[in-house]
Amino acid sequence: MANTAVRNQRTAAKKAPKKRSDFWAVGKLDVPFLLLVMTILTIGLVMLFSASYTYAYYNEHGDSAYFFKRQFVFAVVGVIAMFFVSKVRYDYFKLFAIPAVLLSWFLLVIVLFLPPVKPGFHRWINLGLFTFQPSEIAKLAIILFCAWHMDKNHKRIIGKRENPSKFSKTVKELSNGKIVVYDSFAMLCLYGVIIAVTAGLVYLENHLSGTILIFAIGVVMMFLGEVKQHWFILIGALAVVAVVFFIFNPEILEKYAGERITAWLDKSYEPRGARWQTNNSLYAIGSGGLFGTGLGNSKQKHLYVSEPQNDFIFAIVCEELGFLRAAGIILLYVLLVARGVKIGLRAKDRFGALLAMGIVFQVGLQTALNIAVVTDALPNTGISLPFFSYGGTSLMMLLFEMGVVLSVSRYSRLEKN
Amino acid sequence: MQKRPSKQMAKRAAWALMFLAVAFLYGIGALFSASIVHGEEYRLKAERNQLSDTEISAQRGTIYDSNMEVLAKSASAWLVYVNPSKITDNEQLELVVSGLCSILGADEQSVRNKLSKTETGYQKIAGEVETDTKDALKAYLTEHKDKKLSTVVGIDPDTKRYYPYSSFASTIIGFTDSDDNGVGGVEMQYNDVLTGVSGRVITAKNARQGSMSSAYETTYDAQPGVGLVLTIDEVIQYYLEQSMSQAMVDTGAKYAYGIVMDVDTGAILGMTSKPDFDLNNPRVISNQTVAERIAAIEDATEKSKETSNALYAQWRNRTISDTYEPGSVFKTVVASAALEEGVVDLNTTFTCTGGIQVANHYQKCWKPGGHGHEDLTQGLMNSCNPFFITIGQKLGKETFFKYFEAFGFTEKSGIDLPAEANPVAGKTYHALEKMGISELSSSSFGQTFQVSPIQMITAVNTIANGGKLMQPYVVDAKLDSEGNVIEKTTPTVKRQVISEKTASTVAGMMESVVSIGTGKNAYIAGYHVAGKTGTSEKIGIEGAYIASFAGFAPADNPQISILIAIDEPVGAHGGGAVAAPIAGELLEKILTYLNVEPQYEDKEISSISSVAPSLINMTVSEAKNAASKFNLKVIGNGDKVLSQTPAAGQQMRTGGVIAVYTEEGALKETAVVPNLCNMSVSEANRAAVNAGFNIRIAGNTNSGEVLSYKQSIAENTEAEKGSVITVYFKSNVNVEDG
Repeated sequence: MANTAVRNQRTAAKKAPKKRSDFWAVGKLDVPFLLLVMTILTIGLVMLFSASYTYAYYNEHGDSAYFFKRQFVFAVVGVIAMFFVSKVRYDYFKLFAIPAVLLSWFLLVIVLFLPPVKPGFHRWINLGLFTFQPSEIAKLAIILFCAWHMDKNHKRIIGKRENPSKFSKTVKELSNGKIVVYDSFAMLCLYGVIIAVTAGLVYLENHLSGTILIFAIGVVMMFLGEVKQHWFILIGALAVVAVVFFIFNPEILEKYAGERITAWLDKSYEPRGARWQTNNSLYAIGSGGLFGTGLGNSKQKHLYVSEPQNDFIFAIVCEELGFLRAAGIILLYVLLVARGVKIGLRAKDRFGALLAMGIVFQVGLQTALNIAVVTDALPNTGISLPFFSYGGTSLMMLLFEMGVVLSVSRYSRLEKN
Repeated sequence: MQKRPSKQMAKRAAWALMFLAVAFLYGIGALFSASIVHGEEYRLKAERNQLSDTEISAQRGTIYDSNMEVLAKSASAWLVYVNPSKITDNEQLELVVSGLCSILGADEQSVRNKLSKTETGYQKIAGEVETDTKDALKAYLTEHKDKKLSTVVGIDPDTKRYYPYSSFASTIIGFTDSDDNGVGGVEMQYNDVLTGVSGRVITAKNARQGSMSSAYETTYDAQPGVGLVLTIDEVIQYYLEQSMSQAMVDTGAKYAYGIVMDVDTGAILGMTSKPDFDLNNPRVISNQTVAERIAAIEDATEKSKETSNALYAQWRNRTISDTYEPGSVFKTVVASAALEEGVVDLNTTFTCTGGIQVANHYQKCWKPGGHGHEDLTQGLMNSCNPFFITIGQKLGKETFFKYFEAFGFTEKSGIDLPAEANPVAGKTYHALEKMGISELSSSSFGQTFQVSPIQMITAVNTIANGGKLMQPYVVDAKLDSEGNVIEKTTPTVKRQVISEKTASTVAGMMESVVSIGTGKNAYIAGYHVAGKTGTSEKIGIEGAYIASFAGFAPADNPQISILIAIDEPVGAHGGGAVAAPIAGELLEKILTYLNVEPQYEDKEISSISSVAPSLINMTVSEAKNAASKFNLKVIGNGDKVLSQTPAAGQQMRTGGVIAVYTEEGALKETAVVPNLCNMSVSEANRAAVNAGFNIRIAGNTNSGEVLSYKQSIAENTEAEKGSVITVYFKSNVNVEDG
């Protein structure tokens, strides 16, 4: 309370006294973060146009600018939404923590029964004008839920209290006091179940990368939410076991995912062109070399790199701009994450901190995974590059999230001018 | 309740950030590896995918004869291909299939197969498509514009080789396959220069074979192929082919081949190997009987084997690829060697008793009882084997072999045509080390070894050419695309084999062979033909012979050499009886064509023709006076001669018939041509004049016992009165040659 009062005084000193609103956020948003977002978004749009025009020409009835135009519209709407969201007091999002999880689960179930947008892949919901992926909502829902719940139950997570629920007491009684269910463990279980259900539903969509990402986000949230350290040793061990298991038994996974793991391990694997995408991505990166072929000069985007506007857009970026500039773009993402973390750590409360950090880590993780896939450092799992890849709803969702971070930043103790 | 982020959380966030940084570093490392470490490798692979290298075929060079008649020429044609990846639906597919099958006559199954490869962007359907057909296809594509057929079916320029004279000179010219590569003959030998340099268009193509943009396009122009002027003379070649085809019919031979060579240069003026084939349809079996026999074969493997055998047989240029025992023709070489070495001279005599003992073997002369006493010239005229055995033995094997080698029998002639037979010591001829008295003896009369026709004529040509062995050739000059000569072949003298003096001595002996010896059927009044006949039994085939004649004319100033070989004639098989008359007939035509002035001897003048006087515009009585030496037939009641047959200046015999027409528009009077064969000269002349015709005598009339064997206008056909019928004579006496 004290700090807010100080800030209000400071603001009041500069501007005319403003009536404190319950809904509208006050304070200045973080300009460096905003600049980073806008820079990445602009580069992303330009590269989207460059990468997609041949593909668009061939697949969208000769309209070379098809993808760019649509993405541009979503970007404009998204930026407006971002500013709007940044003006909303983020505390209000607490109201949506549970509904968001329920809604995302609902949509994830619904999508399984809808006709697939791409044959065999129940990932998208077609709304006529555009399609969207429920998994995008699920990612934010997990972050939001965790932030809210971990903030509210912080003491229980870090404390040494026993779990007061009847179930836990019954367990204790039946085991003659030998098994004690602590509150911290109960919390872990709760988050674990929610994350597992969400990730499981995404996996049913035939969406391995989405599943991995949801797990990763969940683990990051628990880690930041100060779930006891020793559990992460267990989680890490489990993850290693799972990865090793799947690498040695790729046939256990859904066929498409298993094949991609095999194709990743065996660089000469070639049934039905399982490595075609990755190889052409590598050819594009190699063609770019240190300085690139120049903006617009990619040759690999001419239908060699599949869907160059999508998961493999970064390969075209590397081809046209070269290694140095591509590394520069990666640095922008790193700065974005770092700034987001700073915003979070300086936030006015734990909820805001978890929310901002969860969002930027999500962006960071997704970017790292995408780059690893494009460079053949990980199996080709179908993961998009934030701000670059084509996808209107996904971009809007991202900008919405950026708005949330900016809203948090308004209350952060950052050097603002 | 402010719950500021705790220190613990900051620590956790730092860890998470570090973890993420590691992940990014891993990504950047992989990126570095792909773009820098393996960059070059990936870039090359990318280029290999992207660049499409389209060849612009160069126009193949034209082949001319020595008179600049076109023998082979490439013309624009079209190539039709499909792009299966562009097929959108079944209806379109069906339209494409039916169009290609009906217009191009393509095989439906194979078209469907090609169209089913939808992952590809290019499948060739047909090449060498004529412009008419291409236009029809284009019209069809336009007609179905709504189904966008032209996105699937493409047409590119192509070339097609045309041979205006079909089978003419086919074994020399050779043909091309569907990729425009020469198969056989000059087309093969000179494939590289004829082909030219293909141009290339290097275009960056996208994964669906569409061009990316012209910025990536580089064009290298095609350089048209070099044109070739052959030494082959269309007229001589025509005469030669006509004679050989006729010989096939007359003698029932399996093959007939001949070579005409320019004496001074070794240039080939004519060369044929019958039966041959149609260059425009080289894969059609030209021999009807063979084609029918093969068509009747039921077993598919057998059939295809027989077909390919038949095709290779008809493509084979037997004048250079086959070998045969030269027989008595080779005696000219032995005589040359012996005279050059001085082991014999023209006065050397020999008495042939009908055979000679060679080691353990009694070698009989071909003439039972022997030729008796004879000098060297008579020995050659008689083609006496024992005489030449003794000459060979006198030479000794070293000297014999020296000349055998010098005349070019141990090496390829070096003619610029493919597939020349390769002489192999111990196989096609006796190696010096292995040569004993028997081998030397049999070799001395041209047996127990094999040579190719081109080697034989080159050796005989050496005698004609004052002892100089020439390298035969068929390409006289190379032309650039504007027709300028860029390279002219200079004749190659391989070596001086015998002295000029020896050469002319042997030439004189060979002239005697033709005038009064076994070669007399090659005799032509006015032209001094030198030659030698030969007959050899084919090794391993009982009763199969090759009858040959090799010679040159005129003997005192040789201009052309000739070799005629009749392979497996039915019935008469002697060189003197079978090959010599053909050579004589042919030489007469060729020498006349080459404007070689005939030089008649007194004896010959009496039997030769007069020349028809010009009677046109004379009154009938004037004409009668002017044609007093002839038998004038006046047709019509006019008083002036309006036309005459034969025309003024045509050769005819004194006392022959001249028909003169005196009325405007009078129909030419005709008569039925009588049989003029198997007659003496006077009998034939009488029969002709009685029927209202004239004869012109061709062939050997030098000896008394000649009989006609051929007439230029067939018996029982209607011909204009006064027409000149050429009647060919030959002798059937003393032309055997062993």
